[in-house]
Amino acid sequence: MAEVTLTINGLQVTVPQGSTILEAAEKAGFFIPTFCHDPELSKPASCRICVVEVEGAKNLTVSCATAARDGMVIQTDSPAVIEARKTILELLLANHPEDCLTCGRNGDCRLQDYAYMYGLRAGGFDGERHSYELEEENPFIVRDMNKCILCGKCVRVCAEVQGNNVVDFAYRGFNAKVTTAMDVPLSESECVFCGNCVAFCPTGALQEKRLRRSARTWEVKKVKTTCPYCGTGCNFDLNVKDGKVVGVTSCEGDVNGRALCVKGRFGYGFIHHPDRLTKPLIKKDGKFEEATWDEAVSLVAKELGRIKKDHGPGALAVLSSARCTNEENYLMQKFTRAVLGTNNIDHCARL
Amino acid sequence: MSGVTLTINGQHVTVPPGSTILDAAEKLGIFIPTLCHEPSLPGVASCRICVVEVGGGKKLIPSCMTAAKDGMVVETESEAVVEARRTILELLLSNHPMDCLTCEKNGDCRLQDYAFMYGVKGPAFEGKHHDYPIEDDNPYIVRDMNKCILCGKCVRTCAQVEGREVIDYAYRGFDTKVTPAMDVSLGESDCVFCGRCVALCPVGALTWKPLAGKGRAWEFNKEEVTCTFCESGCAFDLVKKDHRVVGVEPKAPAPGKPLCLKGRLGLELLYGDEPEPPKLKEDGTFVTVSWARALGLEDVLQKMKEVEDK
Repeated sequence: MAEVTLTINGLQVTVPQGSTILEAAEKAGFFIPTFCHDPELSKPASCRICVVEVEGAKNLTVSCATAARDGMVIQTDSPAVIEARKTILELLLANHPEDCLTCGRNGDCRLQDYAYMYGLRAGGFDGERHSYELEEENPFIVRDMNKCILCGKCVRVCAEVQGNNVVDFAYRGFNAKVTTAMDVPLSESECVFCGNCVAFCPTGALQEKRLRRSARTWEVKKVKTTCPYCGTGCNFDLNVKDGKVVGVTSCEGDVNGRALCVKGRFGYGFIHHPDRLTKPLIKKDGKFEEATWDEAVSLVAKELGRIKKDHGPGALAVLSSARCTNEENYLMQKFTRAVLGTNNIDHCARL
Repeated sequence: MSGVTLTINGQHVTVPPGSTILDAAEKLGIFIPTLCHEPSLPGVASCRICVVEVGGGKKLIPSCMTAAKDGMVVETESEAVVEARRTILELLLSNHPMDCLTCEKNGDCRLQDYAFMYGVKGPAFEGKHHDYPIEDDNPYIVRDMNKCILCGKCVRTCAQVEGREVIDYAYRGFDTKVTPAMDVSLGESDCVFCGRCVALCPVGALTWKPLAGKGRAWEFNKEEVTCTFCESGCAFDLVKKDHRVVGVEPKAPAPGKPLCLKGRLGLELLYGDEPEPPKLKEDGTFVTVSWARALGLEDVLQKMKEVEDK
């Protein structure tokens, strides 16, 4: 494969032809901030925070969408670049609520990261401010369009990853806004609440409702696990605070990337639910009573044996669960066919 | 020793006589927020955020200074308690800069913790705001008195070292402020920059300048080390980011001991991945000095050199 060699901050780096300047810089170990860029999505190059100085170019160049060429000489942190980035941040902050104090994304926000990195305090420019109402009428996602920086990742992830095209840009200029068709709330739209837009949002504009109200980002320990809901085997991070699961966030999953469905991302409420059975119950005199596992397993074995003896194996049927592992399901069918002696075994396939 | 038994949020607990309600709640694992309370310092019960409801009592009482008594029935999160705490937070935030965005304490700030905990989104009252200049005329401590909540921990910890008492409250009412004598800057005062005050400040009023801009609280890992420069055994934190030691923070003085700048500088030289040259005050201004000078080793080095030359 053809390669190109360029110089970034004085360091020579060789990358495959077609790589962007951003990819070349990453390879050379230089950090370039980005808002609208994501390797999984198309490249609008709209936020301009990733601009760099290319020798001989008239303007600062966006590194996320410009192909690296042989012999390019690039500065990623020159005074002109830093000034441009600072101005972009000041403009964004001029219309951004100053409420990191209680914002659920405090500690995991790109706007905050870069403001700190470039030593900015809010309030570079005075001007109009949005005061959109907080949209929180659905149980999963809180949308605060006052915090939206219009990077459009939500629009693209909905269209390009989820394939739903639920949100897009509407209105013009300062009034430009990401909305559903006809600007209705998410709950009245075709949204399926997969939350993939939330996972890609770089600021606090889209937040997981329960998670962001129960913990600060720095309080949670992330534990990577595999979703138990269906056979796809998506990976995600359980967010654990004080020994309790308070939410789910995306990680780089082997089969799913960062994409999840509504069950995987928001269906964790059963884990600590008071109704969840943690001990076996046996019905005695019409009432369920707590029992030991020994008692319960013995009772089931006895009854299965009795039914098989009295009515034959055809009287028995087994329905297994998609929430069990393949190994458990294999054992279940083996048990059904070899021990119970019936082929009456099925599986719910998907929860 | 017989204990006293009381009921907190419906749970019974027995504690030694003389324990406070706060101590008893802690024993039960019940969290009560505090701002001015610090076990190693004399109590002042001034911030009132730790108030609780005691059955039969008309007023909410501060749990940090009230002795637990036999038969007490305490509620730590009743409606009245939560309302009082929310109002205290709203009042504090009414005169507090809303700049968590870039505040060095963001992520390790009690005011922020409790605002989140009690859902206080920001200032609820319109009123005057302080507009003190940020004081950073010394190489070690940044003082932003706009963020000070007047808990007085810095005043009390400074006063614990004989002969220091560098700072105290000055002025009255809304103008009350923690200052060195004659309201000069720390750099001009008798402050020796031990950092005890920084270690206890619950908000962003006092921050450690050598760490400014080096990272956010959630990016740091801290490892406690015991200072070995004298026999006192004070505690310092190595502040690590991406497995590199980016700074050394004073953590806690050994009982009755001062903490000192020399110890901190020495540990920075010992553990720091890129220790910055030390600065000491000479003739009223801070100048960069050699490590030997900062650590008081000049004489020893001189003598060693003399011996070597012979």
